[in-house]
Amino acid sequence: MLNIIRRLAIQHRSFLLACCLLLFVFQVVVAAIIASLDLSRTLEGFLTFAPPAIRAIIEQTMPGGSTAGILAFTWNHPVTHALITAIAITFGARAIAGEIENGAIELILTHPLSRVNYLAAHILFALMSMAFVVLVGLLGAVVGERAFGLEPFAWDRLLRLSGNLLLLQMSFYSLTLLCSSFVREGGRVAVLAVLIAIVSYLDNVIATLWSKAAFLRPYSFHTYYDPREILVNGNLGTWPLAVLGVFTLAAIGVAFARFLTRDLP
Amino acid sequence: MSAPKPLEVRNLKKQFGTIPALRGITFNVEPGEVFGYLGPNGAGKTTTLRIALGLVYPTAGEALMFGQPASNAFARQNIGFLPGDLHLYGEMTGLATLDFFARFRPASPPLLRKSLMEALAIDDSTLQRRVKFLSHGTRQKIGLIAAMQHDPALLLLDEPSNGLDPLVQQSLRRILLGFAERGRSVLFSSHVLSEVEAVCRRVAILRQGEIVALETIDNLRNKVVRKLTLKFRGRVPSLSDLPGVSRSEINGRDAVLWVRGDLNPLLRRLAEVDIDDMVFPEPELEDIFLSYYQNA
Repeated sequence: MLNIIRRLAIQHRSFLLACCLLLFVFQVVVAAIIASLDLSRTLEGFLTFAPPAIRAIIEQTMPGGSTAGILAFTWNHPVTHALITAIAITFGARAIAGEIENGAIELILTHPLSRVNYLAAHILFALMSMAFVVLVGLLGAVVGERAFGLEPFAWDRLLRLSGNLLLLQMSFYSLTLLCSSFVREGGRVAVLAVLIAIVSYLDNVIATLWSKAAFLRPYSFHTYYDPREILVNGNLGTWPLAVLGVFTLAAIGVAFARFLTRDLP
Repeated sequence: MSAPKPLEVRNLKKQFGTIPALRGITFNVEPGEVFGYLGPNGAGKTTTLRIALGLVYPTAGEALMFGQPASNAFARQNIGFLPGDLHLYGEMTGLATLDFFARFRPASPPLLRKSLMEALAIDDSTLQRRVKFLSHGTRQKIGLIAAMQHDPALLLLDEPSNGLDPLVQQSLRRILLGFAERGRSVLFSSHVLSEVEAVCRRVAILRQGEIVALETIDNLRNKVVRKLTLKFRGRVPSLSDLPGVSRSEINGRDAVLWVRGDLNPLLRRLAEVDIDDMVFPEPELEDIFLSYYQNA
């Protein structure tokens, strides 16, 4: 199992480092922007002229223009989602379908390595990778805060945020892994998973902004990730964690069941 | 109770949807034996190997390695495998690839790596290059070393000569015979019959998911229909009642005879006529193959 994890780390190190660097820089840059503006006044002025939809988004994500509000905005920003979801989808698609497509799985599984251990190694590696990238992102936020003299972020809230974000991304990973366990082409799995992630994000945005579409909210993964609630109010409800956690476990369970019984390659 | 055989395949059947890939095949590979597994592309050779290795689940029957089903990862502890369509990680160097596979068997260090590198003519500097920059033949050599470096008790090779030049193919044959001499077993799957003939004692011939022959190489040779080409000095005599001749073709003074079994009666009859030239090559497994396919 460690052998697989080690190989994955070597194979994906450049991709992971690039994601870490981008997220770190993004957090520092946002801290620099916060420090250079009088946020409350700027936001107030902007909200006066902004269209209702934009105003609703901003009011939802960074209430009052506080540092915590801005931080919540950055952790719900499409750039942040895209970077970490890219890891979730790439690793999920490659774990089974990608390895079948490139043919290597045939040789690996003829070694004394069970399918359970093989898949567990992939899942563990994905979890560790995403946790690492999220932590580097948080480090970027803290470095930015220190460097630009911002009001200190609460560590306990940051940790809760990272837990919620990790669970959200594990949901995407497990969904991708589930698709991956049924097909032979990693590219097709990745495309499908990207579409689902985009639909989920848009579903949440639309359902938040448009009251007539509010009934769609429960069907978005992103509904169960709320940085504003965690960072501004300090609340991390059990319901979002339960939904994401149960989905992740169920999808991984079905992926295991399928992988253990399917013909390879 | 006798020791379990390196490989036992019992009434193995596999259906892919509505297509039967294997229709109930049975054979064993004995200790110290190089066993040939022959058949054209699509006959079911690779499917058999994949079932034996636990990659594909059989519809019926079973394949046991040392008495254990291959789905048990422990059963794969003491085997080596080279797939017919070898894919390695392109970003890894050759050496990293060999180390990666060796780490799956910490109890079986890669003791044979150096000698295999010498025999297959691959040097240290080649192994320092990334796999994606290596030729097909060199990748095949790395696959062979990965399969054999831990001196497995059972070696399963699917089309191992793919991409190897003739000299390296000869080296590979010597390596396999060395394995057998040390009591190791080899399943040699191929559609290139001459290479199997050179190393195997027994052979199974597979056709459309069925074993049509399971014989020693010597027995197969006796059953083969061989081609005898004759050039007569005068008029071609009647060939219809020649003993052992199953078919003949005449073109001017030239005749081609397809002959099976004992040659002596035929040679005695041919001695009665004047012959300018006669070509009677060594029997090839290709001929055996054609014989079985024509009969089937």
